[in-house]
Amino acid sequence: MTEQRICVARDAAQVPVLMRFLKEFWSAAGLPPADSVKFELALEEVFMNLVMHGSSEAGTQVEVSVILCDGGLTLMVEDDGPAFDPLLLPAPDVAASLEERKVGGLGVFLVRQMMDAVSYQRVAARNQLRMTKRLIAGGAAPGVASGV
Amino acid sequence: MKIRLEAHGAATLVIPEGRLDFGTATGFQAQLEQVLAGTRTAPAAVIIDCAGLEYVSSAGLRVFLLAARSSQRAGLRFAICSLQPAVREVFELSGFNRVIAVHTDRAAALAPLQQGRA
Repeated sequence: MTEQRICVARDAAQVPVLMRFLKEFWSAAGLPPADSVKFELALEEVFMNLVMHGSSEAGTQVEVSVILCDGGLTLMVEDDGPAFDPLLLPAPDVAASLEERKVGGLGVFLVRQMMDAVSYQRVAARNQLRMTKRLIAGGAAPGVASGV
Repeated sequence: MKIRLEAHGAATLVIPEGRLDFGTATGFQAQLEQVLAGTRTAPAAVIIDCAGLEYVSSAGLRVFLLAARSSQRAGLRFAICSLQPAVREVFELSGFNRVIAVHTDRAAALAPLQQGRA
């Protein structure tokens, strides 16, 4: 199992920092490039949800972990803000007309479509969102990538 | 993200390159609004050539939605073309390919104009 963790301020300016963190993990672990974009999107959507819908308390930190285990990758996003389960957001009407389409809730909807499993837990006064997806075969075997 | 504009007869081609995410969406939106407002020319069609677009998040989808809606209201044809697989997947999952015309390549996107049906 390989695990990396980063802690950043809940601030939109941190998105590039998170993307770099994910890309560095990706290349260090020798993971298939084709899968990378789904995790980049999941991380951007979930983090920006926290930035835009979280409380206005200053100084809130967000912790992001990536865990590679048995050919699957888990992305975990945790924060110490008030309880907020993004999975309760109503799904967008993807069949609505151009005039009626809304973008709200679309980010989380995309994440749920792209990941194999998404779950929310409130643990020790923290929000914890876990997203897991099996990786396409062809990358380095998990045993080879395991550096921890 | 880099954005280039090209005039093709009555159509304005908008050619973004790079990542359309939360950080770049506002700039892209401003550029599209400028094109739609006809500050350069009054295009009969606006076509976004996405061949160089590597990544789109919901922040980017929002810009496409707003531009498509403005175009419809202004009586302009709006289409996108040449989507990379990762971007195509986002359009299909979100159902945006049902409200925005998506063409396989630039020639297909320009064809209706050349047939005089713009």
